[in-house]
Amino acid sequence: MCFIMYLILFCFVLGLVAVASNPSPYFAALGLVVVAGMGCGVLVGHGGPFLSLVLFLIYLGGMLVVFAYSAALAAEPYPEAWGSWPVVVHMVVYMVGVVLAFVVFGGVWYEFSWVSVDELGEFSVFRGDVGGVALMYSSGGWMLIISGWVLLLTLFVVLELTRGLSRGALRAV
Amino acid sequence: MNPYVLITLLFGLGLGTTITFTSSHWLLAWMGLEINTLAIIPLMTQHHHPRAVEATTKYFLTQATAAAMLLFASTTNAWLTGQWEIQQMTHPFPTTMIILALALKVGLAPMHSWLPEVLQGLSLTTGLILSTWQKLAPFALLLQIQPADPFILITLGLTSTLVGGWGGLNQTQLRKILAYSSIAHLGWMMLILQFSPTITLLTLITYLLMTTSTFLVFKLNKATNIATLAISWTKTPALTSLTPLILLSLGGLPPLTGFMPKWLILQELTKQDLSTLATLTALTALLSLFFYLRLSYAMALTLSPNNATGTTPWRLSSTQSNLPLALSTTTSILLLPLAPAAMALFTP
Repeated sequence: MCFIMYLILFCFVLGLVAVASNPSPYFAALGLVVVAGMGCGVLVGHGGPFLSLVLFLIYLGGMLVVFAYSAALAAEPYPEAWGSWPVVVHMVVYMVGVVLAFVVFGGVWYEFSWVSVDELGEFSVFRGDVGGVALMYSSGGWMLIISGWVLLLTLFVVLELTRGLSRGALRAV
Repeated sequence: MNPYVLITLLFGLGLGTTITFTSSHWLLAWMGLEINTLAIIPLMTQHHHPRAVEATTKYFLTQATAAAMLLFASTTNAWLTGQWEIQQMTHPFPTTMIILALALKVGLAPMHSWLPEVLQGLSLTTGLILSTWQKLAPFALLLQIQPADPFILITLGLTSTLVGGWGGLNQTQLRKILAYSSIAHLGWMMLILQFSPTITLLTLITYLLMTTSTFLVFKLNKATNIATLAISWTKTPALTSLTPLILLSLGGLPPLTGFMPKWLILQELTKQDLSTLATLTALTALLSLFFYLRLSYAMALTLSPNNATGTTPWRLSSTQSNLPLALSTTTSILLLPLAPAAMALFTP
């Protein structure tokens, strides 16, 4: 289990480097898919399957799909994948940075600090992840309303920014 | 802009600041700051020219970085201390990181480079909202945390007053001058934050009043550079004679309002046995005073050449509502005798 968690986190960092190394947007979206998938794996391994499912469905299946379609509309004739020279330079720099960070900050294997969400399985009636969602709908009701309102505000912001085709704020529309 | 969208965005601005004011949980405070950032983005691009869009992009990137740093520091604090309470931050690492994140949000040196360029790309009204309202929420958070290291706030403050004074010296564009003046005033606020939060709040409120007056004067005269300011005296001669007082109040000269925060800060620093720091800061204020004096010189103390038709605008009445300008001008000139009441009012 520990080894699987290590593999998942390794692929997580690889995916992050793939996103940050500045390829064309649809390749970066592929990196984001890998990152989100590995993150879901970490969540499942630590006892939060509900949150992992929500992340998969909403983030990967909703938002990233919409982003991939929008990025495909902005396709360019010579996209930069991870074989082109500037992207490779970025990737190498970020990998070196990760290794340096590990050497400076890491060293000890922190397996004992990886507690899982259901460590209180025998002592608590509520699971960590589902109990948090339930709290969001009960005591955190006001925060839920504000979060929903903020999403509506974001919709108006985006619509206002892209209004007017090329006479508006964004000439590329 | 569509009035319904405008109302929604302004409501979002108010809601964001209110949420940050009333929160004791870091996540909710972060939410308020993000709502503020989101809501002001379309307001910045409402005049759809590329310079405004460039300024909006720069603003969004810096504010998003600062908010991400804030969220990272809050989660680190939650991990290290087990709680999310704003006023109970004890570990030095997240505290320092939050101070740096809020300094980036507000535009303190050495994280100030975005502020002059962003303000230059905006209309004067939107620049006014950016310089005044958007500073309230981060300061509400800064007033509540106890810094771990005494030197970080002093370094931020002294660098900001120096950069604000020095950077504003070579500017002819009024919005960039006001940006550097903002940096300098924020530096004064940070210097005294750990010794007396009351004086920080007092400095913030007086700065908001003085900069509101200045922005509104420039808006009335439709002046965005010193050359236009120099020939604008014919539009409102009465206001032209008052504007040097507003500018000198920004510069901190007695007996105007702007002297009050500087006096109290220097006194408190001396009481805390930091007389060298007080002297250095007072000297950096001289740099800012120079460009305020240059603006007064160009606007009111000298008459620049113009056509004969330039002498007639005062005959037409202006369509801009003058009540906010009147209120803020009065308060930014005459508030010094109320210093004891202000100190009592702003004690948290």
